[in-house]
Amino acid sequence: MDQTTPHEEWVRGLLEDAVSDVAPEHGLDSIRRRTSSTAARHGRRGWLWAAGSAVVATAATVAAVVTLSNGPGTPQADHGFASGAASSQARQSASAQSGAASGSSQPSQGTTKAGPVDSTVTVPVYFVGQTPHGPRLYRDDQQVPAADAATPAVHAALAGYSTDPDYTSPWPSTAQVDKVSADGSGITIALQSGGNPLADRPSGMSSDEATLAVQQLVYTAQDALSSKAPVSFTVDGQPASKLLGVDVSGGVDRAPDTSTEALVWVLSPVQGAKVHSPFKVTGLANAFEANVVWELEQGGQVVKQGHTTAQEAFLMSPYSFNVDAPPGDYTLVVHDDDASGQGNVTQDTKDITVLP
Amino acid sequence: MTVTARWDADTAVEELYAAHYRRLVRLAILLVRDPETAEEVVQDSFVAMHGKWRTLKEPDSGLAYLRQTVVNRARSVLRHRGVQSRYVATHRAAPMPEEPGADERALADERRGRVLDAMRELPGRQREVLALRYYLDLSEAEIAETLGISRGAVKSHASRGVAALREQLRDRLGDRLEDL
Repeated sequence: MDQTTPHEEWVRGLLEDAVSDVAPEHGLDSIRRRTSSTAARHGRRGWLWAAGSAVVATAATVAAVVTLSNGPGTPQADHGFASGAASSQARQSASAQSGAASGSSQPSQGTTKAGPVDSTVTVPVYFVGQTPHGPRLYRDDQQVPAADAATPAVHAALAGYSTDPDYTSPWPSTAQVDKVSADGSGITIALQSGGNPLADRPSGMSSDEATLAVQQLVYTAQDALSSKAPVSFTVDGQPASKLLGVDVSGGVDRAPDTSTEALVWVLSPVQGAKVHSPFKVTGLANAFEANVVWELEQGGQVVKQGHTTAQEAFLMSPYSFNVDAPPGDYTLVVHDDDASGQGNVTQDTKDITVLP
Repeated sequence: MTVTARWDADTAVEELYAAHYRRLVRLAILLVRDPETAEEVVQDSFVAMHGKWRTLKEPDSGLAYLRQTVVNRARSVLRHRGVQSRYVATHRAAPMPEEPGADERALADERRGRVLDAMRELPGRQREVLALRYYLDLSEAEIAETLGISRGAVKSHASRGVAALREQLRDRLGDRLEDL
């Protein structure tokens, strides 16, 4: 492509040499075991959870109670605390998660408001995923202690503790959430920098990514607190006016969802869920003519497909459909309609197991 | 556009594994340093590609997806592992073995270690751009697409990255830098 300088040639040689002694050979069997239809595909997300914090443990039990308001409410009705009636697949997903819980008690079947029963609540935690429209927010419902839901929820968002490997956090790894609090004047997120200043945008982070990183925390904090109040930040105890190069002085409002959220979210079943057939898929989509398309794949082949419509077009609104499938491991792909014909679809995928 | 029969997901994994697995693992080592973690990252990426094969369809898209997923997962792993940078910090002061009789192989291993350490010390984007540009030989346009950044940003990360890598290695190797 371009002409190279001697320094560039030097780097080329250096990098080639640095890894020249590595000859991995036995990966294929391991990959095949995980992609075969009978394999337990979700057995090893070990490293993701290896960080060993309480928040991580919580994330592993994720969404034991996933509920979605099925009513014709505004999209906002689906944010915030789980409040809908328990659907059968939510219970299935809850029972499927049993054994995964580390320390937290299982929600009793048939109840939606887990909070009063076992002191945890399910809150939306927002992460960044890639879409054809650039990075956007995806929602991952997670269980957190009811006593202080916002702090662990925002920490999970910042640290990238997502249950879906397609979702990440752009925040520097040294940053931590100290405390999320709310009073009459708004919401405050107290951050710890961990030594690296957080005011400036790190080299390599685009300004879109930086804006989205801030919005990740704004969305998560507001939903955990059921509030639309602007969010202020402190870093190491001092009020912050800039975070990752983004002006946060005077508090940050929730950015419009159309420019922030991915156009399709699957909220249930969650990644790795074990369900009984038929199972119900629910989520939110902002789709052209409200068309939502889905495929159920096994071993990369489509075994079932269908489409449905979200309640409204051009607005994040609820959709749901039922899937009937024989026992086995599948990938559920839900996406918007390819109006452009270019294959530019926004999708959300979940690996699931249909139990016998 | 291909005119040959389309691969199914299993074939795609096998073919792309045969052609690219080693290089992708090496790429991942440049990003995360630890070989075991690197293999995990690449295997995870193959599994993810298998799951998405229906939307990828073509070998080229499969490979592009693999590259992008390896980079994204490597980034995510690093975010969860402060351990790695501490490892680098405690080892950077150790001098290069100087005995003239030192085994050449040990010296080569040492040198490789220093280069990988230096890569780990770079800002994430610079490291990613250097690895994609000078190890995988991707074009600026391909890197821009892989990382979701502009071509201008690729150019500036590349030139800053080269300078920063030299700087890092100068710290580690002093006047032996030019021998590399």
